[in-house]
Amino acid sequence: MQDNQQAYDRGMTIFSPDGRLYQVEYAREAIKRGTASVGVRTDAGVVLAADRRARSPLIEESSIEKLHRVDDHVAVASAGHVADARQLVDFARQQAQGNRLRYDEPIDVETLAKEVTDYIQRYTQSGGVRPFGVALAIAGVDPDGTPQLFETDPSGTPYEWQATAIGGDRDELHGILEDGYRTDLDLDGGIALALRTLAESGDELDAESVEVTTVDVESGRVRSLDPEAIEPHLAELNTEGDDE
Amino acid sequence: MSDFVDPVTGADALGDPTAPELGSITTGDAPAGDATTGGDRDEGAVSKTGTTTVGIATAEGVVVATDMRASLGGRFVSNKSVQKVEQVHPTAVLTLVGSVGGAQSFIRTLRAEADLYEVRRDEPMSVHALATLAGNFARGGPWFAINPVLGGVDGEGSHVYSIDPAGGVMKDDYTVTGSGMQLAYGTIEGQYDREMSLDDARDLAVRAVEAASARDTGSGNGVYVATVTDDGVDIEGFDETADALTAR
Repeated sequence: MQDNQQAYDRGMTIFSPDGRLYQVEYAREAIKRGTASVGVRTDAGVVLAADRRARSPLIEESSIEKLHRVDDHVAVASAGHVADARQLVDFARQQAQGNRLRYDEPIDVETLAKEVTDYIQRYTQSGGVRPFGVALAIAGVDPDGTPQLFETDPSGTPYEWQATAIGGDRDELHGILEDGYRTDLDLDGGIALALRTLAESGDELDAESVEVTTVDVESGRVRSLDPEAIEPHLAELNTEGDDE
Repeated sequence: MSDFVDPVTGADALGDPTAPELGSITTGDAPAGDATTGGDRDEGAVSKTGTTTVGIATAEGVVVATDMRASLGGRFVSNKSVQKVEQVHPTAVLTLVGSVGGAQSFIRTLRAEADLYEVRRDEPMSVHALATLAGNFARGGPWFAINPVLGGVDGEGSHVYSIDPAGGVMKDDYTVTGSGMQLAYGTIEGQYDREMSLDDARDLAVRAVEAASARDTGSGNGVYVATVTDDGVDIEGFDETADALTAR
């Protein structure tokens, strides 16, 4: 069995006799090694939150980018291989601008997500390449004002979510999101849920090392919260913790 | 070429955003000079339609009217029953003005692009997006010497655009292209009102084509009228322009 598996385990992505693509599955394992990012969609907008805590106090935290602005109305969170994520983020940025060139309109979030996943998929069906070891959460507001949240997978499948987590401890974080998600959340409620979920994945969060980006329906624009804006949410989170 | 290569085909994974996604383009000489000088692109051999095409936007919808004559240089009538307005989108039409082959190919391409957009995104293209795409193609594509009118209706309302041969895209309440444009404009000028009924707009468009047909040797032989509303596109042809005024 061991030999049997190894034959389908290297080189390009080919099916094993039981119909699996090991390289794609290993790419998912690579994502699990990354720290988690959380996305929450509410009627008022979409929230992305990520913990960029550094491994060393010497590293400049601002150089650890997990949330990326793709266009005025779309942002992306990444988990997994940073270098792979950068490639996909730049691909997404160029697709978004290409849509403006072609149609003079901002791109729909779903269209963008599918362009990116179609590109990812090509790397599961070609020789001499490896799949992308990264998952993205793509958050945005469509030109018609609809908030959207998508996830990309190394297989090239797009998924649409009300709330999701990518990266390590994903299953555990999904449990928290499932308990805490309500369809009537406002944007602040979305931020609180995202931070509460993120807090479960590690040590206590601090406003300097957590990144929060929103795309609200009212402005339709990406906004990064600065630490002063994040602080009250974390304070509230910690008070809640004390009550329990 | 962008940094993103399709690992299967080796082609640019981003493609050219100003080129059509479907269909292969006949490669000729690159467009040289502007539409009046034409360059080497078999300008001398193409059949040009002369033509008067009118588009009028109202609150209720859009009317596009075209004459029915194809001529060689405005001196010989090569066809007397040309339909110069075609549906390119569930709620938009485009006129054929200039080189016939160029205009027909342009329409086929736009139709394919609009269909593809709609099935992929589950919503029809906006008229502004369609006009932008048409402008990109007119500028960068192989469709030389065309000057169509685009009329359509979407969630934002009624829109009329003219697309010029160099890719210029201009929106207006009403617009005319073709060799009879000055006569047609003279008819519409002062008579247009954004709040006019669709029927009145239709009569105005038909009269504009009628005036051009009377005095422009490149225009005549009847009128095609396209009416575009939220419900879709309706195109009718009339050998006598007078019939178009009464038929509704």
